[in-house]
Amino acid sequence: MAFFAGIDVGSVTTKVVITRDSELTAYHLVPSGANYKMAAQKAMEEVLAKAGLSLKDIACIVATGYGASNADFATLQVTDISCCAKGVNHLFPSVRTVIDVGGQASKVIRVNEEGRSTNFVVSERCAAGSGRFLQIIARVLQIELGDVGPLSLQAKKPVIYTTSCAVFGESEAISRIAEGTPKEDILAGVHNAMALKIYSLISGVGLEEDCAIAGGGALDVGLIKRLEEKLGVHLLVPPQPQIMAALGAALMAEERSLALAS
Amino acid sequence: MYFAGVDIGSTMTKVVIMDEAVLACVIGPTGAEHRRLANKVMEEALRQANLSFDEISYVVATGYGRISVPFADKQITEITCHAKGVSSLFPTVHTAIDIGGQDAKGIKIADGRVVGFVMNDKCAAGTGRFLEVIADDLGLRLEEMGELSLNSKNRVEISSTCTVFAAQEVVSRIAEGTPIEDVLAGLHEAIASRVFRMVERLKIERDVVVTGGVAKNIGVVKALEEHAGFPVLVPEEPLLTGAVGAALLGKELTLNALESGRPIERGARRLEEATFFK
Repeated sequence: MAFFAGIDVGSVTTKVVITRDSELTAYHLVPSGANYKMAAQKAMEEVLAKAGLSLKDIACIVATGYGASNADFATLQVTDISCCAKGVNHLFPSVRTVIDVGGQASKVIRVNEEGRSTNFVVSERCAAGSGRFLQIIARVLQIELGDVGPLSLQAKKPVIYTTSCAVFGESEAISRIAEGTPKEDILAGVHNAMALKIYSLISGVGLEEDCAIAGGGALDVGLIKRLEEKLGVHLLVPPQPQIMAALGAALMAEERSLALAS
Repeated sequence: MYFAGVDIGSTMTKVVIMDEAVLACVIGPTGAEHRRLANKVMEEALRQANLSFDEISYVVATGYGRISVPFADKQITEITCHAKGVSSLFPTVHTAIDIGGQDAKGIKIADGRVVGFVMNDKCAAGTGRFLEVIADDLGLRLEEMGELSLNSKNRVEISSTCTVFAAQEVVSRIAEGTPIEDVLAGLHEAIASRVFRMVERLKIERDVVVTGGVAKNIGVVKALEEHAGFPVLVPEEPLLTGAVGAALLGKELTLNALESGRPIERGARRLEEATFFK
């Protein structure tokens, strides 16, 4: 039985997944950095090493994501919308709406029973709904990105953000710090602002349960809590939310090989 | 009689003192974090005019921080003050474009009065903040950006709208070896086109004046002229139009009251620190 791979070259992180028989064999994440080509190469080499495989063991590779064209070793490219839908459907077949919060864009994807995307909406023109906003605020507050979520959950009085712009949001955070507002209240305010931005995005495609959240944003428990409050639904969270599109890409590679074989 | 106009912007506070002519005008920082420096600017203007605070008959405050100023008799919106200020400087103006540190506005003026306005204060793109963020990243002074961009031979197109993403785009363009003047020209075009599209909703009529801090950037002014298809006017001191308008409106109020024998409505003003966020 052959192995398959999916590589998702994102704006911030490159994710790669190897599957066999539709099951996850290995996965690996590397920062995309300034050179996507090198990141893609490195991610592939390292995941192969993890799995104890070599490139010739992989029957088919599908590349996806913002920088998909940089993975020149891939057999073909598929959009990250289709791959993310596929990946989430594999884990949660009941999911009909996926919210993907990435480093540079947020997406809402409607998914059918077969794991195909039926409609989607992307916000990529504005940093306020994306992981970038959190990165900016974490830097201002001098905390690790990983601490943002747990800290936000401790908020007693979330700041009400008057802006939905990441740049103005940064200045507002600086003023709040100067006033002595606790970090957790600022973070919860940012999470509320992001949830609102994503909520307005959803109105473009509608919300049907079950709902899942994917992407790096799904690692942030603070964002999940505020999104759940705003949307009034429970969000399913995959164990490795960042690799959903890469997983979907690997499954696409399998599907394609099977189709060619028959 | 002496009149003062105070325009408290998000970045700078502007004070004008006048009687028949302008006696003093001072521009100073509003105060980055504590925003409590507005009174210092007023004190400096009084010093330059060689007047005491009590000698000022009427003080009008305008701008983003007008509400929190304890040293004004009256607050008037910046739209009204800008319109008054530019009409007094350029009676032929029918459209004013004001690009400040935190917002951008378009004002339609007829007979010195505001007949329409549009504004963006929701998104940093299309405001002075856009240029500020990028100047910071590039280690440039805001003032040099305009002149530098005029040397551009091959303007780069900036595809990102969002300031955060545009800053990233600029850094990678420069890393690729694109000449800085071409990148700057692209940025100026990006902000000009965004502002112009917004102001167009008012149906732009000549003459057009450009004010606010960004009007000091010749690159943005030229890009706006390209969009308009005709030259625009820029005041000698484009930051002061709001404060000039405020002082003039205070003067009008006072003179009208005196003429009709009504008492002048005054605020309980004190020359002390402004308190924001209270």
